[in-house]
Amino acid sequence: MSIDLRMAWRNLWRNPRRTLLTMSAIAFACVLLVFMLSWQFGSYETMINTAVKVQTGHLHVEAADYQDRQDMRLVIKDPQAVTKMVQAAPGVEAYTVRANSFALVSSQERTYGILVVGIDPAREAKVSTLKSIVRQGSFLEPGDHEGALVGRLLAQNLQVKLGDELTVLGQGRDGSIAALVLKVRGIYSSGMDDFDRSSIQMGLQAFQDAFTMEGAAHQVVAICQSLEEVAGAKAYMAAHLPPQKDPGLTVLDWKQLMPGLLQGIEMDLVSGIIFYIILLVVVTFSILNTFLMSILERTHEFGVLMAMGAKPGRLGRLVVMESLAMNLLGVGAGMIMGALITWYFQVQGIDLGAQELMAQYGIVGRIYPRLSWLSLLSGPAVVFVMTLLAALYPTRRLWKLRPVEAMNYA
Amino acid sequence: MKAKALKSLCLVLVFSVACPALALAQDAESLVKAAFDYMRGKASVSTATMTIHRPDWQRSMTIRAWTLGQSDSIFYIVEPPKDSGNGTLKKGGEMWMYNPKVNRVINLPPSMMSQGWMGSDFSNNDLAKTDSLIKDYVHTLEGSETIDGKKVFHIKSMPKPRAPVVWGMQKLKIREDHIFLQEDYYDEDLQLVKSLTLLDIKPLGGRLYPAKWRMQKAGVKDEYTVVGYEKLEFKDSLPADLFTLSSLRNPRF
Repeated sequence: MSIDLRMAWRNLWRNPRRTLLTMSAIAFACVLLVFMLSWQFGSYETMINTAVKVQTGHLHVEAADYQDRQDMRLVIKDPQAVTKMVQAAPGVEAYTVRANSFALVSSQERTYGILVVGIDPAREAKVSTLKSIVRQGSFLEPGDHEGALVGRLLAQNLQVKLGDELTVLGQGRDGSIAALVLKVRGIYSSGMDDFDRSSIQMGLQAFQDAFTMEGAAHQVVAICQSLEEVAGAKAYMAAHLPPQKDPGLTVLDWKQLMPGLLQGIEMDLVSGIIFYIILLVVVTFSILNTFLMSILERTHEFGVLMAMGAKPGRLGRLVVMESLAMNLLGVGAGMIMGALITWYFQVQGIDLGAQELMAQYGIVGRIYPRLSWLSLLSGPAVVFVMTLLAALYPTRRLWKLRPVEAMNYA
Repeated sequence: MKAKALKSLCLVLVFSVACPALALAQDAESLVKAAFDYMRGKASVSTATMTIHRPDWQRSMTIRAWTLGQSDSIFYIVEPPKDSGNGTLKKGGEMWMYNPKVNRVINLPPSMMSQGWMGSDFSNNDLAKTDSLIKDYVHTLEGSETIDGKKVFHIKSMPKPRAPVVWGMQKLKIREDHIFLQEDYYDEDLQLVKSLTLLDIKPLGGRLYPAKWRMQKAGVKDEYTVVGYEKLEFKDSLPADLFTLSSLRNPRF
């Protein structure tokens, strides 16, 4: 160990209280950043996964413009060809076929204009959580042509219970009138109010018959093994779309299907970043203050060293080494503590309590922070650079020192 | 004495300015009322073909309709066979739809009233709120022109305060013999939403009548709905029990 390094280390512990305080300020900033970033990424993942699992899926193949216009006539003419292709796409875990139409749905008492969705019960169960959120009654059996699933809030609004009849009156693909009577087989509750009040689900086959779909459907919905696989699967599907004219087909990912969700995430990230910047500025100034103090109060000592022949550069190196050591210790401790705390909550989960509020954002149950290299390293790295810059500034004073004046400095 | 003369002169002046406006408003009011009565009659039985046109798609159906007074009507789809027997009853401001296949009657909720009837450019409101134009709007004469030797009045209709209306403004063109030529519908921001044009005026049901009604949404070129009257018969009255829910369930055509 060189003499400078030893001096730096000793200087550091000449005033242990100040050093520890500064280090803990750095460490605290790091802990906060690691935890908050992990928390944010974790909650985004929860939000995306919940929203994706409830209904949307990761990817849709559908007619171009269908997403915007929701026009009954914008169909996938040959769903089999599309499912075959989707099945072959890399990273796809499961897929299902759906058909939708806005229709009047009426009980004995009330009528509402809502979305009627034709689903393939066996495949749907693998793609969405629909089957698992049926709270009363049962999920649709394959081949059930008369059954319907109704959301909790819609069931309330329509005043229906299990076994009650629903009359559906809408318009078929060819413009003819579609009418059918369905029986409520199951009532589900996803926790997302919007979903629970705005649609009913029925068998795809029965839907295709009633709405004169002639075998066509509106969406092929795919779910990937993980969020990272989505881009690859999308590219494959886009390149292998079966040829269909008027309308052509297109592939949409969850960001295009739920632009609101992505905007929500972006907004939250921006407000998070503003908070981090404020945090960093505060920490940086407090550290700047500490270093400035430590140099000012050692003016006499630096004067002596200079009188003995120490050059400003050497003193500068000494001071930088002090700050570097303090910095590394602080950041290191902060990262370790941050990782431990985050990891604890990653395992345990955090119950926010505000279920109603969170449900609106698609978060049901607990939030699990997610520790990643990005959340672990990015915050502390910025803290490290900022504190280093804060330490460098006061060292400029060393070059202005004159040994005699410095020694007389009170 | 002099002051009094001046005063009465002023009064006369004020009246001479105000009265024509008042008279015009009343004229417009009675003109619209007369035209509405002329078009609708006391009661009517008709057969019409409705064609819905879209850029990539077109569909026609034949409808048989009965109307009574200003607000009651019942109509059934006769053709195509697949939809035959589907009926709509309109009574007051409410509407019901009947489908023979499932043998059920559905009451249309208020939220669905602005939707197109059977996918056409005529909304349920256009059908249900027929008499709204008379009840809920104030009409003013904006001008007139002469077309083929007949005077055509341009009328602006603004909703009465707090009236439960669908449109923020309507503009009407009514011929001097009480035939509607055009009806433009504006939203509350006074943007044109759609226009109804009445064409092909010929003797029908014992009076001159536009046989072709064309509803077109503003801003879209190739999307419209045309109703063409095939048969029209005006009557003095129709039995009131024709316009009931039980009658809706038992199509009589």
